[in-house]
Amino acid sequence: MSAVASEVAVLGRRRAAGGVRSAFRVERRKLASQLAPRLLALICLLGPFAFAAVLKVQSGSPADSLYGVWVHSSGFALSLVVLGFAGQWGLPLMAGVLAGDLFGSEDRHGTWKTVLTRSCTRRHLFAGKLLAVALFAVGLLALLALSSLAAGALLIGAHPLVSLSGTELSAGHALLLVVLAWMLCLLPMLAFVSLAVLFSVATRNGIVGVLGPAVVDLAVQLLALVGAGVWLHFLLVSSGFDAWHALFVSAHRFYGPLIIGQAVSVLWIAACLLASWRLLRRRDFTSATVSRRPGWVVPVRVAVGSAALIAFLALASNWGPAGVTAKRVDASITPTFNNLTLLQQRELGRVVAPGARLNVLPSCSRRASTPSGPGDWICTLTVFIPQPGAVPFQSTPVTYDVTVQANGCYKAESPPSFVGQQTMRDAAGHQVVNPLFVLYGCFNPL
Amino acid sequence: MAAVRASGLVKRFESTCAVDGVELVLAEGEVRGLLGPNGAGKTTLLRLLFGLLTPDAGEIDLLGRPLGSAERVSLDGVAGFVEEPAFYPYLSGRVNLELLAELDRSPQARARVDEVLAQVGLAGRATDRVSGYSTGMRQRLGIAAALLRSPKVLLLDEPTSGLDPVGVREVGALLRRLAAEGTAVLLSSHLIGATEDVCDSYTVLRRGRVVWSGSSELLREQAPGSAYRLQTSDDARALELAAQHRGIELVGSGAGELRIAVQAGALDPFVLSLGRAGIAVRRLELLLSPLESMFFALTGEADPDAVGIAEVAEAVLAGA
Repeated sequence: MSAVASEVAVLGRRRAAGGVRSAFRVERRKLASQLAPRLLALICLLGPFAFAAVLKVQSGSPADSLYGVWVHSSGFALSLVVLGFAGQWGLPLMAGVLAGDLFGSEDRHGTWKTVLTRSCTRRHLFAGKLLAVALFAVGLLALLALSSLAAGALLIGAHPLVSLSGTELSAGHALLLVVLAWMLCLLPMLAFVSLAVLFSVATRNGIVGVLGPAVVDLAVQLLALVGAGVWLHFLLVSSGFDAWHALFVSAHRFYGPLIIGQAVSVLWIAACLLASWRLLRRRDFTSATVSRRPGWVVPVRVAVGSAALIAFLALASNWGPAGVTAKRVDASITPTFNNLTLLQQRELGRVVAPGARLNVLPSCSRRASTPSGPGDWICTLTVFIPQPGAVPFQSTPVTYDVTVQANGCYKAESPPSFVGQQTMRDAAGHQVVNPLFVLYGCFNPL
Repeated sequence: MAAVRASGLVKRFESTCAVDGVELVLAEGEVRGLLGPNGAGKTTLLRLLFGLLTPDAGEIDLLGRPLGSAERVSLDGVAGFVEEPAFYPYLSGRVNLELLAELDRSPQARARVDEVLAQVGLAGRATDRVSGYSTGMRQRLGIAAALLRSPKVLLLDEPTSGLDPVGVREVGALLRRLAAEGTAVLLSSHLIGATEDVCDSYTVLRRGRVVWSGSSELLREQAPGSAYRLQTSDDARALELAAQHRGIELVGSGAGELRIAVQAGALDPFVLSLGRAGIAVRRLELLLSPLESMFFALTGEADPDAVGIAEVAEAVLAGA
């Protein structure tokens, strides 16, 4: 390449960077002046404090959420419950509100012609808008993370946290893992932002753009309830929100779902943004060529397309090997139960020798016709306790009702007759959570 | 160097050819009126010049540079608006201009926001949200947004629409001043009257084709004539005199007035003859200027060369 040509190329790149920077600044200022992002920031800032305050004045706990029963014991658990809820609903909704009207609003206000007749190309505008909305998304996620950590630490306390394998994590270790867990939600959130961008570009409709990601999220959650196959669940846009679970498992460590979740998020981001750009780059913004088809054509097409997609996904949900099997549930619940029992004994003031473990024989089975897959399971854990004079051991069966999700996480509950009440008095006389009342755990479904 | 040069431009929408082989040259400092009835292709041509549409055929050079494809269009030095100017309604006029200045990547543009707001008479409402602006105020803001770029080429689509008569005059004076400084202005309108005192030249479109192009003097020269409303002290005798004058033709009457079509140069002798005959002229009002009559002749259905002022006036003033 000649010197002149390379100079021209450098100038071109500088010019493009300048255009993107300008578009980014404009979009950042527009977003900052809108009510919705400000409201979201307020919710992210105050929401966790309000949640912690409500928990503070009542004894109940959101036991259905991972770490729900531990919210009164450790501020880190509160942050993780907020994270779980955010991954399930909050972040997809937030992504929709932030990005769902990003491009559609230009159509609604008729401002495409205004901005495209300045010194920025549509390539600059597209990139600038994406950068601005990504900045807001990251900012809101960080605000929610910090706010939930602060609310937990201030209103509940930065106490040690129980891992998803039943072991105790020091406050410092727990803080590190919780921060990492929030960071792992960044890419999945950006995947939902990209999905909202695609809705906004494709439909030019703010309502579809804002609600679209939430509807997809709902559909994904419904899909998680059906089908035993593992592949579809890992390819869904929200699979990355579950990646953090692996950080809190100390027995049988696994990182496959974590890596796949992040990679899938990147794929979703790339696919949505590529599709959005392809739609935008040649679009006629003058509406002179929009030919209106009869009013029923579009709804019929959407209905047929949706029905076909639902049928396809329902079939695809059985694609691949079963992620939730009796063997995996057995292998996960046994060490968790073991560790939590030892934790209970220590809290009751009993001496537990280092490295001590129970002799537990698990037997888990699914409460449905098919032997594997997410849903309701029942586990009987038979504990063999050595007794002087007994031949050979005294066995004590404990039965847990286990709700297992497609992502390999479960909640196990047992009647108080087996494991006691939700709370108990520790050796110092304080009311603490009974570790065996509800077990949370996760295993690798791959 | 021409500021704007379009050659062989074609744009089709399905079976309709909105712009059909249009040639257009706009020189520096020239104010050219782009005229034509609704649907003539004016707005499509402006969209093509702004790069909002990609032509099916033909080329566009702006300030000596090819316009480029729709996704990487280069509009440096070019400003204006197509159809009505649009802004973010939840932001103030000033903030809207600041954002556009940012998109222009020009520190000078950022520094000129207050100046252009004052130029278009919006300084007092600059901090109000655009959602509260009237149509005329939005039009003024659109002109301000164009001026912000200190453009060398100004493309304006019906810029005086929604403005009061004072506003129309102010905008006209502003465009003349910009032209005197070297800015090339293309002014689209479907009303020739709105551009008569502003334009140096005209391009007239009809059904996507250029049917006439030239200077305003040439347009006046070729115009079939004009039409007037006449009230006299004796309409019956005035009619008799009109019949004796070549180039004067009655196109309508009623309610104590006559509507006459007048060929170029025929009005003065007729009015003088009315005076000599002792007929007082109580009112003589221009209904159709020479430029307007030419416009209607060019954009009507009939062959413009074969149409006289009487036919044009009759068609235009029917029911007036």
